Amino acid sequence: MADTLTDLQHWMHRALLRPEEANPQEVDARLTPHPRLSPSGALAIYQQSYRLRIASCMREQFPALCHALGQDLFDDFAAEYVRDCPPESYTLYDLGRRFAGFLDAQRPDRDSQTREVWVDFVIDLARFERDVFVTFDGPGAEDLPPASPATCDADLRLNPSLRVRAYQFPVAQYYLAVRAKAAPTPPPPAPNHTAIVRQDFGTRIVPLRAGHARFLSVMTECTTVALALAELGPGALTPWHDDPGLKTDWLRAGMFVAADAQT
Amino acid sequence: MTTQNGIAALPQLGLGLGLRNVHFEHILTHWPDVDWFEAISENFMDSQGRPRDVIRKVADRYPVVLHGVSLSIGSTDPLDLDYLARLKTLAHEVQPQWVSDHLCWTGVMGLNSHDLLPVPLSDETLAHIVPRIHKVQEVLGRPLILENPSTYVGFKDSTIEEPDFLRALADQTGCGLLLDVNNVYVTCFNADADAMAYLDAFPWDKVVQMHLAGHTDCGTHIIDTHDQPVRPEVWELYATAWQRTGGASTLLEWDGNIPDFDTCHAELLKSRAYMGGAGFQQVLDAAQIAPATGVSNPVSFLVPDVMDAATPADQG
Repeated sequence: MADTLTDLQHWMHRALLRPEEANPQEVDARLTPHPRLSPSGALAIYQQSYRLRIASCMREQFPALCHALGQDLFDDFAAEYVRDCPPESYTLYDLGRRFAGFLDAQRPDRDSQTREVWVDFVIDLARFERDVFVTFDGPGAEDLPPASPATCDADLRLNPSLRVRAYQFPVAQYYLAVRAKAAPTPPPPAPNHTAIVRQDFGTRIVPLRAGHARFLSVMTECTTVALALAELGPGALTPWHDDPGLKTDWLRAGMFVAADAQT
Repeated sequence: MTTQNGIAALPQLGLGLGLRNVHFEHILTHWPDVDWFEAISENFMDSQGRPRDVIRKVADRYPVVLHGVSLSIGSTDPLDLDYLARLKTLAHEVQPQWVSDHLCWTGVMGLNSHDLLPVPLSDETLAHIVPRIHKVQEVLGRPLILENPSTYVGFKDSTIEEPDFLRALADQTGCGLLLDVNNVYVTCFNADADAMAYLDAFPWDKVVQMHLAGHTDCGTHIIDTHDQPVRPEVWELYATAWQRTGGASTLLEWDGNIPDFDTCHAELLKSRAYMGGAGFQQVLDAAQIAPATGVSNPVSFLVPDVMDAATPADQG
């Protein structure tokens, strides 16, 4: 191992992550002055670029949360986040993976008996946006034949991209309003269930009733309709047993594929 | 040497463009008359969604090159073999003409700065990087092509000029070189060095590809922002470089404030005017476009516009 190089890289990386801790004398000792740039000035280009780059990528991954907080406050949260959870992966797709957990761990009312509603909303929205982001580029059903109305229940399988989630706020509606540039205000709590699914590389957001979400969640684990019903207990019926239109809607949203496509 | 064919067997591809998210729809709809595309490896290697589908379709129609930003060949952390395996899988899938990355490091201690950080150019660094290139080439089964980065700092530990360092790397490993002409200008300007002297010292026989891009003049220094047209000073260097490489494959990078495809393509085609050597036609209408942030090596193009792909179930 190149000891001098190791030492230099550890020093420079710390200087990027925590610019305020970079000792000016050490900067001068390691970096060469140029006529145009002092050592500290040159290092500052990398320090500033790191901060701006991370903030920019976080805004791209959490556009609705950025809208909710305003860019300045969002950037402050993002900066604190990467100080606490510096990027570990070679891919920027991973950058926001721990953001909702970070916000939850750092919530200002964590030691209080009373929970601040706006904090709950921020965390809920961060979770939703991460779910949408992961669905966009994760496993999908584009190479699998979709299920059709003619596909019998025994042959229905869930789209591999499907995520069934419970949120405390109508975050999906808020997200779509931001997308439509409607400048929404933070909504009051309204617990809900939502399916996020990708079809033809487009991400679909499907509101669910609690019982429907329960069925789909169990089916995620059990694979087939029959096994899901067995898991749910005696007398369990499909969500569409008395509402054929529901099955049609879910098929149209791409929530199912046909069984033989996966074998 | 672990590669089956050396860099001499690599083709001259002509004039290519970076494959960017904002142009996906245009490319798949119009199949524009571009010689080749360069794809950022990390945008596609983990994708199981639209980016992966797009690169497969593009690779069916055009020569493709994979250009990485995360190999971190200069890092003192161990090589990321999982990353290399994923890169190899993508390469197997899209059959790129070559695979490139940068002479840089991106992080240490298991962390990543997502920047292309320079290494001190010394015998110690050379001895550290050479076996890592050998390992990468062994895993990928092909020569690695390395790019000169844009740099803003100089290290007191540096003892070797960058062209000589790159020559030594190429001689000792068989790797090829990607000469980023804009990076030459940026690095030399910031170090108050002579860019033409840099070119005079460059190992031209190792050059497989060239990059062109725009930069931002910050007064005291310039930053490699890739967010505007190529500057006249860089076009002049390119004219020399094109002559000395004998017409190496040329690619335009545009990564911030990305205009529509036709604008990018028109900027690329300006390079034809600089292929005639002395007396080349001056096409110096590189009006500055105000940069959004002045971030070096902008990476916003690495994040897809997910929001635009999201719709309620009763739409789209």
